[in-house]
Amino acid sequence: MSKDLDDDMFVCRCEEVTVREIRQAIAEGARDVVGIKRRTRAGMGLCQGRTCEKMVQQILSQELGISPEETGTSSARPPVKPVDFGTLAKGVQ
Amino acid sequence: MKSYDVIVIGGGVIGTSTAYQLAKKGYDVAILEQNDIASGTASRTDGATLISDKQPGIDVLQGYHSVELYKKIAKEFSYDIEFKSCGFMYVCETDAEMAAAEDYAAKVRAQGFEMRVIDSKEMCEREKYLAKDLKGGLWTESDGLVNPYKVCFGFIEQGKKYGLDVYTHHEVTGIKLDARNQIEGVITDRGNFITNKVVNACGVWAPFIGRMVGINIPIEPRKGMLLVSEKTDIIANTEVIEFGYWLAKFFVDFKRPVSELVEKHNVCMNIETTHSGNTIVGGCRLFRGYDIRSEHEIIQAIAERAIRFFPVLRDINCIRTFGGIRPFCLDQLPIVSAVEEVPGFYIAAGHEGDGIALAPITGLLMSQLIAGEKTDFDIAELSWARFKGIDLAKLSARAS
Repeated sequence: MSKDLDDDMFVCRCEEVTVREIRQAIAEGARDVVGIKRRTRAGMGLCQGRTCEKMVQQILSQELGISPEETGTSSARPPVKPVDFGTLAKGVQ
Repeated sequence: MKSYDVIVIGGGVIGTSTAYQLAKKGYDVAILEQNDIASGTASRTDGATLISDKQPGIDVLQGYHSVELYKKIAKEFSYDIEFKSCGFMYVCETDAEMAAAEDYAAKVRAQGFEMRVIDSKEMCEREKYLAKDLKGGLWTESDGLVNPYKVCFGFIEQGKKYGLDVYTHHEVTGIKLDARNQIEGVITDRGNFITNKVVNACGVWAPFIGRMVGINIPIEPRKGMLLVSEKTDIIANTEVIEFGYWLAKFFVDFKRPVSELVEKHNVCMNIETTHSGNTIVGGCRLFRGYDIRSEHEIIQAIAERAIRFFPVLRDINCIRTFGGIRPFCLDQLPIVSAVEEVPGFYIAAGHEGDGIALAPITGLLMSQLIAGEKTDFDIAELSWARFKGIDLAKLSARAS
């Protein structure tokens, strides 16, 4: 349960965001995954939230007393996985 | 029912700046936002704070004042807005483009601001990854970068110190007027508020609020797109933009030697390496209504154009793309004004791609207007009255 999570634990490994920072963002008004992302960068790294999103949802859900579904998800945007600009510039062959 | 001196509608960069300035002046202020702070245009943009992408005249003037304010705010705020005074570079691909750029720089200099013509050698010294075959460019020392959503959060956190109240996830559904058309209150999906003054700072959504008081605001969404790279070495030290970007922004008829795809989507390169070490590249200006989805052809065209100017990107990964919409105003100047026919109703919107750059000065000017003070400089050109005699009903239908 997130209540037991240590404040210093990393939630987002790509951007090195801790539980403390997520809780701080909630105190500043974040209510969903995207709100956390904008305030802390959690989910903005190389994996685009694939690793941390579930845990961010869980912390939000616990702190705000809402269901994980109500905490939303990050908007889906291409590319699905990192692709170099050279390949993107070639377009769909 | 809660009562306020002023209610600012819109938690984007213009609304948060305005609310902050009003609270600082001692007004009892609330900000109403339908989603979260910085959840619309302000979070789908780059962080350029430039005077150099403006039109000579009041546009450049307010750009200058705004950048100066950013320097102060960056020192004053406890919240880090990641302001960096890094300079700005326009790059030109052809002699014809260079001639147009030189002409523009002369006009900016005539207004008293510095903007220097530089050669390819100086450009490459400043930007080691820039293509070596460019004709030259323009350089402005004072321009810089900020983190756009952190600017919004900064205004909010600083505003709270002066008593600013923040209501996120409150959607405004109506505005109460008395028999003389004077503002009486604001209706939201989560309760009503009493006030005699409302600032419409809703950017691309400003026309919807305008209709609630019976006016047609000539703002429509102009879409842009950005590609985000993985974290790397600093690719661009400054904000770098191809001069064609300025030409396209102001609809100057100008032919560039570009591919059909780049031409079709009006794609012009802009690039910046952010505080976090990611590089973001764009961009385009298109009318697509309120659709902000990433479009594959545009991604392709932006990638192609970015590699043309920064070949190193070819082997660097893109981790995300996103679209956003700019509040394009009919004559490409923002509206920073009272609305005479609706006493107590003010508009601070229509900054197109300059909202981040102009937010500090717009907030300050708006607070001066509301306080009945003399504004820092004459802003008649930004007034609502400038649209008198124009059939706005027809225009604003496009933004519905």
